[in-house]
Amino acid sequence: MASDDIYQIKGLEHSFGKEPVLRVDSLKIPPAAIVGLIGPNGSGKSTLLNLLGFIMAPTRGDILFKGRPAVPFSGDVRFRVTLLDQEPYLLRRSVARNISYGLELRGDREQLQDRIAAALDWVGLPEKEFSGRQWYELSGGEAQRVALAARLGLQPEVLLLDEPIASVDAASAERIKAATLRARSEWGTTLVIASHDWQWLYEVCDVVLHLFKGRMFGQERINIVFGPWQPRGDGTWQKILADGQAIVVPPPPKPAAVAVFTDAEIAPDTGDSPPVSHSGVLNGVVSRLILERDGRDVIAVVQVDQLPITVKLTRQAVEKRQLYPGRQIGILLRSDRAVWI
Amino acid sequence: MDFILSGFLTAIDLLRRGDAETYSAIFATVRVSSYSMTASLLIGIPLGFLLGYCKFPGRKQIRLVVDTLLALPTVFIGLLVYAFLSRQGPLGQMGLLFTLPGIAVGQTILALPIVMALSASAIENLDRRLRITLISLGANRRQLLLSSLWEVRHGILAAALTAYGRVMTEVGISMMVGGNIKWHTRTITTAIALETNKGLFAMGIALGLVLMAIAFIVNVSVSFLRKR
Repeated sequence: MASDDIYQIKGLEHSFGKEPVLRVDSLKIPPAAIVGLIGPNGSGKSTLLNLLGFIMAPTRGDILFKGRPAVPFSGDVRFRVTLLDQEPYLLRRSVARNISYGLELRGDREQLQDRIAAALDWVGLPEKEFSGRQWYELSGGEAQRVALAARLGLQPEVLLLDEPIASVDAASAERIKAATLRARSEWGTTLVIASHDWQWLYEVCDVVLHLFKGRMFGQERINIVFGPWQPRGDGTWQKILADGQAIVVPPPPKPAAVAVFTDAEIAPDTGDSPPVSHSGVLNGVVSRLILERDGRDVIAVVQVDQLPITVKLTRQAVEKRQLYPGRQIGILLRSDRAVWI
Repeated sequence: MDFILSGFLTAIDLLRRGDAETYSAIFATVRVSSYSMTASLLIGIPLGFLLGYCKFPGRKQIRLVVDTLLALPTVFIGLLVYAFLSRQGPLGQMGLLFTLPGIAVGQTILALPIVMALSASAIENLDRRLRITLISLGANRRQLLLSSLWEVRHGILAAALTAYGRVMTEVGISMMVGGNIKWHTRTITTAIALETNKGLFAMGIALGLVLMAIAFIVNVSVSFLRKR
């Protein structure tokens, strides 16, 4: 049965050697969505993007593209999906020929010059100045933008971006953001973007999915607490933070286990100022507030000692609790729902 | 010192007035090196690509053998080819001994490991991101292969240049397999060796100058191609 989703993944697993590096039980990406992938190094973001880009085939499971199983080099996906790698590689040729390469593969040579100019314009590089430059005559940020222009020139159905702003300045990041949003609005391009910069991601994406150590936690905002854990003597275990606060958890599988908390909440306002630390409540300071792209919800980053905890709140809740960077609040980590990794 | 200077001046004169014997050796060298380079590039680049790009059992061992063959002495190749092409050898009926194609066979054996090893190194050093870039821009398997080769063109050019340098300057194979026959299989290097033994420096210097000029022209052409 044909599906409306661009991607459908079920029971996907990918391994390098014997160790599985990515497991995705289920994932659906609708057309024209902008999906963010967030997670620390080694969480599997790039692997997932390579799989979605059909650069390689998964060890186990299928990736359905528009309802049909697709594999690398298959005609269904070859000219529809394109990936911009973390450190993009420019072909050893001029900027113009880098941009025209993909079009020439498609046998699409009409008004090539105009289209090269348009692609460069999308990323804010003047055609006259850059078109004739060789690959080695570009700065890091310019090379990144040329590589993006080479993908945008193809008007792809799916554009996958791996850390697109990791090594660019603020102006380039803004350009890249504008170009990706424009691709969606003008051509209905579906975008999947992996980034460390979750503020940028939340500004751009409709949905942000969290990954950690090859596991997908979906849209739940995850907070990761690394071991070691110490027994408290009452059957529970704890991690003592540098400021003396303790995160109490059920017995971990091993003392060095990593706890992933899928829910964090702002503790009810008790009128204390600063709030009193009591069982399950951690004292922290609001360090950032980020409005999600739909304008309804706010992501608050609360610094508990050195540990950043993210919490999702409605705008009304932010107003009601008078949250602002610097404000001290209590955070509830639901230890009973911690996932051990 | 005078004999070197006069030899140098006579050499210029020999080249200027188109001395037939000198030019015969030059043409023999250009012909035989063209044969051997064509063969070694046609065989060596695809094999080097396989060796550098594909993972298969025994690859490391083959690589070790190819790398070892880089140090093959030319007289040893000459000896082997002579043994195979001589009348009592397994390929004796082909009648290649003391011919330019016979020398070319030996020079191909000399150049092949160089082309293979250096092409394989260039391809091994290909950026892993190139493959991702080419596939993500829509390349099929054939386009992936051809574009990857094009990306390492400078490395392959360097491999060809190194092999050409070895082929042009070797004496052992040309002497043993070609026999240094005047007007026939006498190449620049065998002629220099012979003329110097005879005490005739002028022709030796003339041919040496030509060898240098060819090397210079090849290098200029390569540096021009590098910019493209």
